[in-house]
Amino acid sequence: MKRERLEIIKDILLIVKKNYNSIKTTPLLRKSNLSSKIFKKYYDELIKKGFLRENEINYEKTFSLTDKGFKFLDRYKTILDFIQEFEL
Amino acid sequence: MPGIENLLIQNFGTEIIYSFVIILTSLIIYFSTREIYELSNYKGVNYFRKSFLFFAIAYFFRVFIKFLLVYFNESFIVDLNPEIFPLLGVLSTFLFVYFSTIAVFYLLYSLMFKKWENQKEEKKDKKPRINRIYLFHLISFIIAIFSISFRGALFYVFLNFIVFLTIISFFVKISRDNKLKNKSLHTLYILLFIFWTFNVIEVFIPNFLQKTVLIIYLSSLAIFLIILYKVLRKCGAN
Repeated sequence: MKRERLEIIKDILLIVKKNYNSIKTTPLLRKSNLSSKIFKKYYDELIKKGFLRENEINYEKTFSLTDKGFKFLDRYKTILDFIQEFEL
Repeated sequence: MPGIENLLIQNFGTEIIYSFVIILTSLIIYFSTREIYELSNYKGVNYFRKSFLFFAIAYFFRVFIKFLLVYFNESFIVDLNPEIFPLLGVLSTFLFVYFSTIAVFYLLYSLMFKKWENQKEEKKDKKPRINRIYLFHLISFIIAIFSISFRGALFYVFLNFIVFLTIISFFVKISRDNKLKNKSLHTLYILLFIFWTFNVIEVFIPNFLQKTVLIIYLSSLAIFLIILYKVLRKCGAN
């Protein structure tokens, strides 16, 4: 079954969170179960919207959640319930 | 003769309270869904909350029109021609009709956009098409132009009846396609559309629904408050 946009965002953010809030690009792409093209689209969106932050430690790029990213995960069920309640 | 006495005689207080509650309810719905929209960036939430913002604006112009009618002792708002700003009546009517129509269209679109987008995706339709939301703005604009261009009670009833039928036919289609997942919501929306039509007609033909006006007001209030309750229950008290 095709995953919805919000579900994919939740999954990506959850992967980062479960990895002690720091993960490199390759494992994130692998664990997100998306094609690299689709992953890039979501990656750009998450960075642009301020859900994810890029960090560079010892020339290695990692990702971590921002406060907004944590808030999204916290409110994910509420968002979903709201969308279902009003059939949006 | 224009005067404050008219406002006191003609139960203008009821109008103010009624509009105030509807405007406040709509604005609470709009602002309490802001966080959900900012986090999800979900189009359906955007259309839903904007619909209530437009309802708030429409009801503001509705009470303003009522005020002008009572203050200047006129029956038809488009006939109003005060010395200071001659186009006051025409402009208020235009904005009221435009915002009230687009509010209903946005609510309808919040239910339909997903299905329309999925259809486009399934068909792999890459033809550039006019976004339906712009089409709804255009229709609302045309309806608003008609409302200020033509006069006569029957014309207003006819115009609103056509809009109402269009909305209901769209809505029946959605209900059938979605297999009535949420019956209470669908009933609520149909009632909202019905009472919205009465509210519009009541502005243009004040004596047409005089005996039932209190029922219309109470029913409209109940509908908006139920929607507010549903929103706050889901959004929490943010």
